[in-house]
Amino acid sequence: MESPADLRTATGFEMELAGLIVEALQLEVAPAAILPTAPLFGDGLGLDSIDALELALAISRRYGVALKSDDERNGRIFASLRALAAHVDGERRR
Amino acid sequence: MAPSYPLIGRAADAVLFRHSGGVVTAAGFLAAAEDLAARLPPGAPVIDLCRDRAAFAVAFAAALLVDSVSLLAGERSPERLRSLAEAHPGAVTLSEDATPPGPMPHRRVCPDWSGTPVGPMRWLQAERLAAIVFTSGSTGEPVAHRKRWGALAVRSMAAAAQFGLDPWRPAEVLATVPPQHMYGFETSVLLPLHAPAASWSGAAFYPDDVRMALAALPAPVLLVTTPLQLRALLDAPVTAGGDGPAGVISATAPLDPALAARAEEHWGCWVQEIFGATEVGSIASRRTTAEQAWTLYPGLELAEEEQGATVAGPFAPPTPLADRVALLPRRRFHLLGRSSDLVKLGGRRASLSGLTRILAAIPGVEDGVFLAPDDLEARPSARLMVLAVAPRRSAEEILAELRPRVDPVFLPRRVQLVAALPRNELGKLPRAALLALATGARDG
Repeated sequence: MESPADLRTATGFEMELAGLIVEALQLEVAPAAILPTAPLFGDGLGLDSIDALELALAISRRYGVALKSDDERNGRIFASLRALAAHVDGERRR
Repeated sequence: MAPSYPLIGRAADAVLFRHSGGVVTAAGFLAAAEDLAARLPPGAPVIDLCRDRAAFAVAFAAALLVDSVSLLAGERSPERLRSLAEAHPGAVTLSEDATPPGPMPHRRVCPDWSGTPVGPMRWLQAERLAAIVFTSGSTGEPVAHRKRWGALAVRSMAAAAQFGLDPWRPAEVLATVPPQHMYGFETSVLLPLHAPAASWSGAAFYPDDVRMALAALPAPVLLVTTPLQLRALLDAPVTAGGDGPAGVISATAPLDPALAARAEEHWGCWVQEIFGATEVGSIASRRTTAEQAWTLYPGLELAEEEQGATVAGPFAPPTPLADRVALLPRRRFHLLGRSSDLVKLGGRRASLSGLTRILAAIPGVEDGVFLAPDDLEARPSARLMVLAVAPRRSAEEILAELRPRVDPVFLPRRVQLVAALPRNELGKLPRAALLALATGARDG
């Protein structure tokens, strides 16, 4: 997957995933407002564990990629839109 | 003689926990608990942060062996750990991690399950304090609830009777809720110590985790979950095989009867819903598809007092419930609803007036209120919202101020700045007017 040098510029797939996040969680932000490198949980979008479940469901429906609990990996996957996009993109191509 | 109960009321070779690498027997568990107990400062409160259920349980048991109390902290932020340590001087943290998560002494938990216990089974006084669990209080500061050993042990046996657990065919408990939460603590940590049940100690949060565990576990599996996770499991595209559970237990939020019926039909199993609260634990259950009334667990007494209902049980003093009830014959009752100030999300509870007080204390906020949509508990993406009068502050700033002070699930999904709140002549805020203002702000 391409990785743009500019931390604020989202790739096409990151934009698509941002749209899915906004739609699935009914967030009141525009997809473009989700910075690719900002945290999804905590200080960034401020998502919580219920959101993680909803997001996992939406991702498995759209891309057929099932997220699993794996403490070490999960922290990385949900670290940012970019990390999540890289994981989903990698898994769906397998 | 004062009554006492054993640490483990099971045969030495009984399976208490199962993980991907094998099983944990009662003897192996006791040996691991003795081992860890020898590394604990006697009497020091234990903050049990273990994620793995068997590790969590062994830390809890080790604390009991050295006359310590376990503190069940659902949240592990440095601020939360610091405030726990202040309230409980000398506290140590226990987790699977080598790195201490906070400033207090830390012990790593990595049990060897193959040992043989050195001493005999320990019997513990029923009245001794075993655990402290927390609810989010109305001011945002967590409120502590003390659990005595006898109350925990007897309730586990009562749960076994309530759900008809069979000593000749122990249940395989697959819990999707964390052990630090009272519901997960009772069903997946305490139950195996005293009832014919083995608990899955691996990860089980996402639908795929649950399916993989279902495929790995022998029958009969008892899935202990929440309405949100149950719905996600039934909705997610199937990616792994395996039999379904023989029974499903749901708690933390009202279970939609249609969802319960779907689960019963899909797996050919029964679905039971538990009613309880952190203060009192699990106290009643019902088969959601077949009945509206709840049936109390054996040994508990429910009473209607002037201020509301209280529940009492062995080694548990009468404790008020947040819900109003109507008593029925034969140990059954109806729930009449909760005080409208209380909201519940993700198994956690908060008071809207308490949250509003936090909002009002933010510099620059002249007036403000937390508001819950009508379908808060039914719609997974539903969250609280805030209406605020704060001419010199932005919505983002207010959210940033709330973030360190409020549990993430109760953070408003929307902060709407308004010129004034629709206070009536008594200074009160009619809900209809607030909702109209919120909708108008959204449309405009």
